[in-house]
Amino acid sequence: MRWVWRGLLGVAILLPAAALARPLAFVLNSDDASISIIDMATRREIRREPVLRQPHHITLSPDGKLVLAGDTVGNQILYLDPETGRILRRQTISDPYQLMFSPDGRVLTVTGLARNQVDIYAFTDATGLTLLHRVPARSMPSHIAYAPDSSVVYVSLQGSNRLMAISVRSGAVLWDVPVGETPAGVLWDHDHVLVGLMGEDGIAVVDPTDGHVLRMVRTGRGAHNLFFSPDGRLIYVTNRVAGTITVLDRASLTVLRDYRVPGGPDDIEFAPDGTLWVTQRFDHGVLFLDPRTGTYSRINVGRSPHGIFLNTDRHTHRTEEP
Amino acid sequence: MIDPFDSIAGYVQLHVLVPLLWHLDLMRWEDLAYGWALFAVYGAAQVALMFALCVPLERLFPVERWPDQRVVLTDIFYTVVQRVGVLPLVTFVGFYEVQARLNGFLTDHGYVPPTLERFLPFLMGWPVATFLLYAIILDFADYWRHRISHRIGWWWALHSLHHAQRQMTFWSDDRNHVLDDLIGALWFGAIALLIGVSPMQFPLLVLFLRLLESLSHANARIDFGPVLGRVLVSPRFHRAHHGVGAYGARSCNFGAVFPWWDMLFGTADFSRDYVPTGDPSGDEALASGSYLAQQMAGLRRLLGRGKQPAAVQ
Ligand SMILES: [Zn+2]
Ligand SMILES: [Zn+2]
Repeated sequence: MRWVWRGLLGVAILLPAAALARPLAFVLNSDDASISIIDMATRREIRREPVLRQPHHITLSPDGKLVLAGDTVGNQILYLDPETGRILRRQTISDPYQLMFSPDGRVLTVTGLARNQVDIYAFTDATGLTLLHRVPARSMPSHIAYAPDSSVVYVSLQGSNRLMAISVRSGAVLWDVPVGETPAGVLWDHDHVLVGLMGEDGIAVVDPTDGHVLRMVRTGRGAHNLFFSPDGRLIYVTNRVAGTITVLDRASLTVLRDYRVPGGPDDIEFAPDGTLWVTQRFDHGVLFLDPRTGTYSRINVGRSPHGIFLNTDRHTHRTEEP
Repeated sequence: MIDPFDSIAGYVQLHVLVPLLWHLDLMRWEDLAYGWALFAVYGAAQVALMFALCVPLERLFPVERWPDQRVVLTDIFYTVVQRVGVLPLVTFVGFYEVQARLNGFLTDHGYVPPTLERFLPFLMGWPVATFLLYAIILDFADYWRHRISHRIGWWWALHSLHHAQRQMTFWSDDRNHVLDDLIGALWFGAIALLIGVSPMQFPLLVLFLRLLESLSHANARIDFGPVLGRVLVSPRFHRAHHGVGAYGARSCNFGAVFPWWDMLFGTADFSRDYVPTGDPSGDEALASGSYLAQQMAGLRRLLGRGKQPAAVQ
């Protein structure tokens, strides 16, 4: 029975080490029904947390205590511990695709891509999500952005080439207008809404009062999602068809440079050391891009990695003005 | 470790499908295209593997020998179209908006399709076990779909296309009328609303099950014996289902993967030896026509114009 004692001893040695929390990264493997938990310091995958069917997107709760991940085909929202990556509880929600908290932290908007609906929920730690409004949408509501005062939420309708604006308080549709071929990522910036157009070669600059397109900025074929740099001076755009990430000067929206990034770049997060962590949607990888040199390394994760979250102290909200 | 099929699918997606979708203004289907690339790559692997396995078996232990095998070509066409996912893809895109509306309608009425893990929480975190349980339940559902399709006149008119082949080979598994395939898709869609869909991350397990279904049609004297033959459907078992005297309601052995349901519900027949196959009650076009001729003959039979099934009670 010596192995029993050795086993216990092993557990005793390992447990304190595990208790010493190291910053973790979470990558949602959408076609592998798992979440890769990665040690940010070593960039090694520690383990894969199994989920039900198809996880896509992930976001931090306003108080920073929980990570919410949506499992679309599993019809579940998972609540994970950002320190350990363990699933704490689950809530049944139909087809949760994108999910994002408002800047004031009071509501969570969830898009039901496969059910043509946008849900607005109230959230508390104790009760989880409570539905406030369910708004019927045209085909494939996908990405989300808020006005800085949290009064309006903007949702791209990937299957109908439109962008819609919804009043957060009433759930009323303010406008719903064409913006270009296959709109995806949405970002509020300086009184404008920026929309990545996957079916075109850049982003649309949209007037938030009525949705009309003011101008286009060329970034690359298949412009997909947009992210502010941590210092708020730059905007990074992933271009799926071109296989590039374009850097825009935020003030002028002029192109500063392009990085070649293979594997179908999708979502980006920023590590404290300045590295961009990029999910490679069609190459089962996470790529670490050094923006100073344009060089990168990568690790393998599961099939079709989509949403990514880095549990860093300086994690800032996407729509926050710097 | 990344399996090579995944890498091939990723390459096809990045270098062929995504640029193509962009040029055709179809980028909204990008995610679907990747799913299809995986399906098609694994489907091609299925075809290659069943070819490598079944051709030697059919050569070594043939049940029948045919001087002219041209009618098998049509079955090869059915197989390729089905296994690389042309029909599933067309069906998915064609019914996408209907499906989205149905999903929205159900959500509005407070219905969220569950998963087996919700009924059986101990399955949570055990995806392979969950997959196998889904496989068993879906095979059970398929047994009844298949059995009923032999009993209802108009449905048998469609399904008789599958039975018309007199030169049955491992290629014959996918020869079905498109409407019969569509009914099958709706059948499983309805079940998905009740118990959700299986975990989808095990294409190698799917590959094994599909291989078994192909093998069960092989023109080969293969019997799994008294024990394994009662666990998995063997070529001998399924050949009895296709026997000339066993068309329509008179058939037996409806199971596709597991013979358990036939044993349980009294439709198993382990005694029938390697019988000739075919359905003498149908038009000749169903057996030896081209793909289109077979589909049209099935449609004619459905509309009551062709030769009518004598077998339905
Ligand atoms: Zn049959
Ligand atoms: Zn058959």
